[in-house]
Amino acid sequence: MSNRYDIAIVGSGPAGLSAAINAKIRNKNIIIFGSSELSGKLIKAPKIDNYLGLPDITGIQLKDRFQHHVANMGIDITYERINTIYAMGQYFGIAVNEKMYEASAVILATGIEYTKALKGEEEFLGRGVGYCATCDAPLYRGKIVTIIGYNKEAEAEANYVNELAKKTYYIPMYRESLNLNENVEIVRDKVVEISGGNKVEKVILKSKEIVTDGVFVLKDSIAPDKLVPGLIMENGHIKVDMNMKTNIEGCFAAGDCVGKPYQYMKAAGQGQVAALNAVFYIDKN
Amino acid sequence: MVEEIKDQDFSQSIENAPTPVVVDFWASWCGPCKMLSPVIEEVSDELSGKAKFFKLNVDENPVTAAQFKIASIPTVMVFKNGNMVDKFVGFRPKDAIKDALEKHI
Repeated sequence: MSNRYDIAIVGSGPAGLSAAINAKIRNKNIIIFGSSELSGKLIKAPKIDNYLGLPDITGIQLKDRFQHHVANMGIDITYERINTIYAMGQYFGIAVNEKMYEASAVILATGIEYTKALKGEEEFLGRGVGYCATCDAPLYRGKIVTIIGYNKEAEAEANYVNELAKKTYYIPMYRESLNLNENVEIVRDKVVEISGGNKVEKVILKSKEIVTDGVFVLKDSIAPDKLVPGLIMENGHIKVDMNMKTNIEGCFAAGDCVGKPYQYMKAAGQGQVAALNAVFYIDKN
Repeated sequence: MVEEIKDQDFSQSIENAPTPVVVDFWASWCGPCKMLSPVIEEVSDELSGKAKFFKLNVDENPVTAAQFKIASIPTVMVFKNGNMVDKFVGFRPKDAIKDALEKHI
């Protein structure tokens, strides 16, 4: 059976890394999910002057310092993209495609770069709109399905859906060439709205409309309340208290995903607070 | 306890229940359903006697799934006197489910 981590940290920006080193110092068994460049925003920063102790540093230099720091502490970053985090009560189930990790506590440090929802997307969620084509495809056997794809991975899901659906449309939200089965109809147009009555009926595009039974919106990153079902948001950010606690017991959040200002030191500070409270939570239970 | 329910006994079980009825629509290929089912099981134990809990496999019971226009699973529906009074789609943590159900009890 899978072993259970004490703390799973989602995100490898300043908040996630600061959480990781502080949890590690407290001798907790952690896993941190992120990317090899740590943070897309960090490496793009030309010059940073408000990170205490490290004046006049570039984003890439700061990233190198962070990398050096975590490596020295024996922290390895797991390069995997998480689909869903399930709050099971006593623990969290962290799903990465077919794989499942378990952790007693979770710290969300996902930043704030998720794609804005399409018009009608949230309204029809669960009434024809879904985020996981492989999960719900069998419900659309013999029906018409439209896939709005934000990345190459979405193409494989479209091909799979096409095996079951009567008709599959694919609307790419990027410019690269597509690798789709010939039966999948490619629609290169701008999505205006997902519309319907009780459930989804059509996708309205700039130049035409597609009649459809279901729409799958397949994105790179998803909003935190879709990542963690049941998580409460406030004004586009994860709602937390001073201890970086969310509404879900054992789930903490830190950094840009909890609100402004979007700054490195604030993120690192919140990551630390989240880690210490997660440690307290684990020791208490 | 969560009992299995099928197309043929669905309406009878829903209509004749003395308490609110909660139905979890699921399928074996659905990951979130697998996560939700132990959570619903726990909730059913804690609300034992106050509500009746069923699960319905949408693959094996297409009539009921079509009747309630199940477009995404897991879907959980609450019935009172045979009428659907509430539903939610997708996984929810235990507290959120309990809060939602207690409104109807």
